[in-house]
Amino acid sequence: MVGLSLGEQHFIQGGIAQDLRCDGRKRLTYRPIYVETGVIPQANGSARVRMGATDVIASVKAELGKPSSLQPNKGKVSIHIDCSSTAEPAFEGRGGDELSAELSNALQSCLLGGKSGEGAGIDLSSLIVIEGKICWDLYIDGLVVSSDGNLLDTLGAAIKAALSNTGIPRVQVAAGESSDDQPEVDISDEEFLQFDTSGVPVIVTLTKVGRHYIVDATSEEESQMSSAISISVNRQGYICGITKRGGAGMDPSIILDMVSVAKHVSEQLINKLDSEIASAEAEHQE
Amino acid sequence: MAGKAGSAPATYSPSPTTQKKKTSLFQEDWVRPDGRGFHQCRPAFFRTGAVNAASGSAYAEFGNTKVIVAVFGPRESKKAMMYSDIGRLNCNVSYTTFASPVRGQGSDHKEYTAMLHKALEGAIILESFPKTTVDVFALVLESGGGDLPVVISCASLALADAGIMMYDLVASVSVSCLSKNLVIDPIFEEENSQDGSLMITCMPSRYEITQLTVTGEWSTPKINEGMQLCLDACAKLAKIMRSCLKEAASDSQE
Repeated sequence: MVGLSLGEQHFIQGGIAQDLRCDGRKRLTYRPIYVETGVIPQANGSARVRMGATDVIASVKAELGKPSSLQPNKGKVSIHIDCSSTAEPAFEGRGGDELSAELSNALQSCLLGGKSGEGAGIDLSSLIVIEGKICWDLYIDGLVVSSDGNLLDTLGAAIKAALSNTGIPRVQVAAGESSDDQPEVDISDEEFLQFDTSGVPVIVTLTKVGRHYIVDATSEEESQMSSAISISVNRQGYICGITKRGGAGMDPSIILDMVSVAKHVSEQLINKLDSEIASAEAEHQE
Repeated sequence: MAGKAGSAPATYSPSPTTQKKKTSLFQEDWVRPDGRGFHQCRPAFFRTGAVNAASGSAYAEFGNTKVIVAVFGPRESKKAMMYSDIGRLNCNVSYTTFASPVRGQGSDHKEYTAMLHKALEGAIILESFPKTTVDVFALVLESGGGDLPVVISCASLALADAGIMMYDLVASVSVSCLSKNLVIDPIFEEENSQDGSLMITCMPSRYEITQLTVTGEWSTPKINEGMQLCLDACAKLAKIMRSCLKEAASDSQE
């Protein structure tokens, strides 16, 4: 994707070793983050997040469905990412499928918790309408419009913002025969319930270049990486998911060090994101 | 199936499947269904040379999880692929239709192929076979839980059997978090009700981790503990794998 000469590669690696990256940032500084919510009116919730030149849109649609028999008191969430060919010509047709699958899997493991539903960023039991019969199915779709590195963090932030913008319509169940297979439901057009996103984690990707880690790598810096670890941290400081990208082996002590660095960085990121989302929502109200 | 002439054919009526109640199984004195300790792995059985037609192959059996992996190559890359001065690795993990208790339900494991690829690519010396491709095909014959770690360990054994140059054998172990207890090498029922999982793939002699996946909510000391458990288990697993390769080599010499 990125063609770099030997001199440029040395410049990037040397700069990172000296805590001065190509755009003047320090190793653990994020690019400026811009959040807009409510960009897709037909969706129940949506957001657009820009980190430097990386631009993603996330949308949340809620539909009524049947809960799975293994977990009848929980709703269902499915996350799907699509890499648009506007981001990279190589993404056209099937080209972006591998990257989309990798991003979808990473986001699913970060946001949906263990198989029993514990530790999920999204409270699935709040999505239930009638236990065992009707629940809300959330379809979270992410679209990568422009790619300049650090897609996972940006998508995580966009999904968090879209979920805070999501309104689930109020449902009234017709009282009547309790043994009915399909009870009558009346979906309100007016009243909406806001989604609680205080438990949704953020994702911090630490990219290892040489012997140092950087946060929020551009695509040039990513081409120089030996490996990258994406760590999802929630507000309470618990790790909600870790995925490793890149095939190079890493010493376990380095991984634990990266986990503690990610926790430290995530505090600032969560605060920044929350304030951005709040101001975007406030603008949207006006 | 020849019945005795004249006897009424016996009819078979399936026993009613008992609905397993979702009671909370994990009290303080909970014992694992197969009687293992919390930090005890399943007994591992490896055998190389399972598939004659392949360049290398291995069969692994960990309790009820049975996996067979065949390695083909290095062979010519498809003509559509561009020239590459390092080798290519192509992986595929598939489930047989009878692998899971309910027929055909193992198809929600499409990401295992990508994870096998990521686990192996750091260990193979790709520069030793430029312009060619090595194909690794894994088939899960029976899924008894903890499938992916078994697939990865078996695949690295098959690669060694095929003579592909590697930096080290890749051993893989996963740990489940069940309401504050860390349980190593989970089986199917434990996996379905786990609160979190941590899977590590490492090269034990180099003490390097090639692949790490964590799901669920973990605190840092727990991740520490989980990683240490996995690394110790991986070291022991690598010894078993090495002894299996040595046996196979000494058998062929006789």
